[in-house]
Amino acid sequence: MNGGKVTLRRTAGLYAGAAVLRLALFTLFPGLPDLLTGRVEISTPVTSFKRLQEGLFLYNHNVSPYDGGVYHQAPLLLPIFNLLPSFSAFPIFTYLLYIAIDILSAHALLRIAESGEAGSSARFTSPRRDKRWSGAIIAALFLFNPFTIATCIGRSTTVFTTCAILHAIANAISGRPFHAMVALAFASYLSMYPLLLLPPLILLCYDRQKLPATGAPNAWIKFTATMVMDVLGALAVLFQMSFFLTGSWEFLSSTYGVQLTLSDLAPNIGLWWYFFVEMFDSFRSFFLAVFWLHLSSYVGGLSVRLRQQPLVVITLLLGIFSIFKPYPSIADASLFLGMVPLYRHVFPLLRYSFVIAAIIIYTTFLGPAFYHLWIYAGSGNANFFYAITLVWGLGLSLLVCDLAFAVLRDEWEVERPEMAGKEIRQI
Amino acid sequence: MRPSFPSSFLLSLLSLLCFSPYTAIANASSPADSISNSRSDYHEQLILRPLPLSTLLASFNFRSNTSLSAFEAHNFRFFPRSLGQILEHAGTRELHLRFSLGRWDAESWGARPWNGAREGGTGVEMWAWLEADTDEEADRKWLTLTNALSGLFCASLNFIDSTRTTRPVMSFQPEGNHIDANATNMHLLYGVLPHEVVCTENLTPFLKLLPCKGKAGIASLLDGHKLFDSSWQTMAIDIRPVCPEDGECVLQIEQSIDMVLDIDRSKRPRDNPIPRPPPAHEMKCNTSKPYHAHDTCFPTDSAANQDWSLSQIFGKPIKGTCPLTDPTVSPVCIQVPGSRVVFASEGAIEKKNPDQTSRCFDFPAENEFEIFLPAPEAQDGSVVIEHVVKPETPLLYAERSFTGHGQERGGVQTILRNPSPNQEVEFIYMESLPWFMRIYLHTISARVDGQPGKADSLIQEVYYRPAVDRARGTQLEVRMTVPPASTVFLTYDFEKSILRYTEYPPDANRGFDVAAAVITILNKDKSGGNGRNSRFAAYNLRTTTLLCNLPTPDFSMPYNVIIFTSTAIALAFGGMFNILVRRFVAANEGPESGLKKGVNKLKAKVAGILKKGKKESAPAVAAEVEEKKTE
Repeated sequence: MNGGKVTLRRTAGLYAGAAVLRLALFTLFPGLPDLLTGRVEISTPVTSFKRLQEGLFLYNHNVSPYDGGVYHQAPLLLPIFNLLPSFSAFPIFTYLLYIAIDILSAHALLRIAESGEAGSSARFTSPRRDKRWSGAIIAALFLFNPFTIATCIGRSTTVFTTCAILHAIANAISGRPFHAMVALAFASYLSMYPLLLLPPLILLCYDRQKLPATGAPNAWIKFTATMVMDVLGALAVLFQMSFFLTGSWEFLSSTYGVQLTLSDLAPNIGLWWYFFVEMFDSFRSFFLAVFWLHLSSYVGGLSVRLRQQPLVVITLLLGIFSIFKPYPSIADASLFLGMVPLYRHVFPLLRYSFVIAAIIIYTTFLGPAFYHLWIYAGSGNANFFYAITLVWGLGLSLLVCDLAFAVLRDEWEVERPEMAGKEIRQI
Repeated sequence: MRPSFPSSFLLSLLSLLCFSPYTAIANASSPADSISNSRSDYHEQLILRPLPLSTLLASFNFRSNTSLSAFEAHNFRFFPRSLGQILEHAGTRELHLRFSLGRWDAESWGARPWNGAREGGTGVEMWAWLEADTDEEADRKWLTLTNALSGLFCASLNFIDSTRTTRPVMSFQPEGNHIDANATNMHLLYGVLPHEVVCTENLTPFLKLLPCKGKAGIASLLDGHKLFDSSWQTMAIDIRPVCPEDGECVLQIEQSIDMVLDIDRSKRPRDNPIPRPPPAHEMKCNTSKPYHAHDTCFPTDSAANQDWSLSQIFGKPIKGTCPLTDPTVSPVCIQVPGSRVVFASEGAIEKKNPDQTSRCFDFPAENEFEIFLPAPEAQDGSVVIEHVVKPETPLLYAERSFTGHGQERGGVQTILRNPSPNQEVEFIYMESLPWFMRIYLHTISARVDGQPGKADSLIQEVYYRPAVDRARGTQLEVRMTVPPASTVFLTYDFEKSILRYTEYPPDANRGFDVAAAVITILNKDKSGGNGRNSRFAAYNLRTTTLLCNLPTPDFSMPYNVIIFTSTAIALAFGGMFNILVRRFVAANEGPESGLKKGVNKLKAKVAGILKKGKKESAPAVAAEVEEKKTE
């Protein structure tokens, strides 16, 4: 009882600390939010706050924001931000909203961590599960990650997607599948790609629900169908609301169409933009299809191979999305890096942790420098920044692969407990 | 009762077939004569106006009329047939076409000729009112029109595609008299090509439209070498229907060329065009400068090189008058103060206008005509006599420039200065920007110089049509006012997009031209009642074009990028699925892989050779043993 109170107090202190830090950055450095909003590493065409303001301006002046090439974000963000007092007059409300969203995300992450799902899921219990960090530490690692802070200060709208994804996972773990599906629908509505998380999330919900011990062999089919219907229903409601809001369906092509066809080639930390700048026109649509196919190809493989640990599948997928989605930003990386500490118990099994850490730090510093050389100094060309995005992508994919390896080895050692700490190989 | 402009095509064709051409012409010309006696079917006039800083403005104006009935009967007398057929085919009611180069220096040259109504921004600009029932039909007709005119004028007008076409809402009003000016089937389309380089190949077709084809009359002065060597020049073609109060409607084509020549530059002989400093004894020094001495000289500008003759400036005199021109209109006028002497060639009659600032010359059709303006007499410093007519102050000065640096984003700043001490200026500011400049309209602000903070009350109305990637450019029209004697800064931010590498021109690092902003100052006293006689715009001006630098990719390595990115993806995909599909075994379990087997065999062989060769090679053996142990 007393311990619970202490934990609660510690968590509240953690959230307050994170909020104060953000508020201090917002208010003490008034130029910082706009500076970070302008960074390509933080703001992409589909998440930029400046574009959101433009969309809001057009929306308030009865010009359809989707009848133009600037605003590519979900229609429901417009009334949400419209409800806030005007940004130019009272920016503090927007700041508070973003801080609140970050803390909500951290809280969901804390719930995930406290559940212990990462170490012992319904079908699998890791022998190393005792070695884990408390929820507060994991939430702190997320909240005080410089990438998360930069995203919050840069007011990228990815934070809403992050929050929705984390709540979907937290709800799935706590046995509320409907809530999880609605949260996932919201995340998909905002950014489209979270829809690919549906299969592992259904598995997670299925494992975690308190099923009456029925022998019905087709229970899982019924369950899956219900879940899919939930998501589709929630999406349909969201789309219908958007339709009523904007009066036409043109928002579909302007929000999701842009992600599918990559018509805006603004530089970002991903691999798509430069590839499609340089792509020959006749092969453009072919490679767009290939890239999307590649992105979705991991879902099936991971879900099947890691059937016993759906949360791992979700984590690995988030890592893959943060590398290979059309408009990634460091916000996606911060979500993935926020999930990774859940697997504290497999950290000893990671093989390349030093290399990965070195690459991430190295690209974090060199990326902005090379971008400056290209765009402002003119002493470098586009290849400089491209090379760094390539290294960043490779570093993160090394982390994803290494984490997959560690988790699989951990799983394998349940069968072969004597192999712990021994040299192994894969055949 | 006025006939509507494009009417039954078939009927007119029939009439043309039935009557002999001579009768048709006779029929056509008689009503035209009856409209007004003062206005002939064709007239031309050259107005010369010396400007400060030894420059000369030459305004050529050619105007011809044809009655609408004659036009519909395909009776082309003064109206160029080639153009007439294009207009009819594309359903064009009114057409304005501009070819321009250079920059009008309003600070020293004052107000623009024709109040800016006959000029365009650098490059090619055109706008037209088309008759069409739907927007799509208007687009089709516009495409027909631009393609046909492109061939006629040897200009890249066919590049005016949907990204360069806008439909201005506030900035333009028809100049002609249309029966149903507000009808829904009148579509205004506006296209601009800022990158187009106007040159001789555009002048030749322009001159061919004239009745005398540049062989006689004032048009004989026009020569590509001089015209395109000027500091500023604009060629304009305006076609509009004009309906006088009494009489039949006529279709009017007005062609004009305005150019500002640098007199020093034009007087340089063509075979020796390199500028050289004048010898010291010929230099006119400004003796009022404190540092003036026998070995230092500050050259005076005002009186320098004010002597010139037509053949010095244009390389040749005027070859008589065009015989078709209206004899009541003097072909050449010059605007200099009445005190200055102007010599004209023999046989010319000088007519001084009552305003004391201009005089006109009539001369026989068959003679060559020449004007000589001697240098103004030297004077003592106390009396300042104007050598040139003082330029009129324009209603507004406008300058537009980019702000910010880097190839990622920037801002546009337009400085608008109202010189009038007591009258505010109301105008419409129009921009048509390329789609790859993504402007943020929420950042638009107007600020009066010297007053901190925004003054958004200056902006009264905004019409904005955002750009769509690769399909449509931005159209921005702002109706705003500038208070008397103040300067207003109009600013907005934009972001530069990166394009596909095939979308860059070969000279990608030169930058992309951004069309001039069109400023239309509204006419306040619309005393004409129905607005027929009062012009919609009191004054027009255009800013200069801008050069926007976009970020460029490396054009030399598409293959490398494709290969590198594909490799990164393959590494991730391969690495991940490699882990997923393979089984774990302990390092010493399972079958040996083919490669390892080969390596071991090789090692054994090498060890054997070593053993045989050198018995004392103990370390190698030890390594061999250790290798075996780990297995």
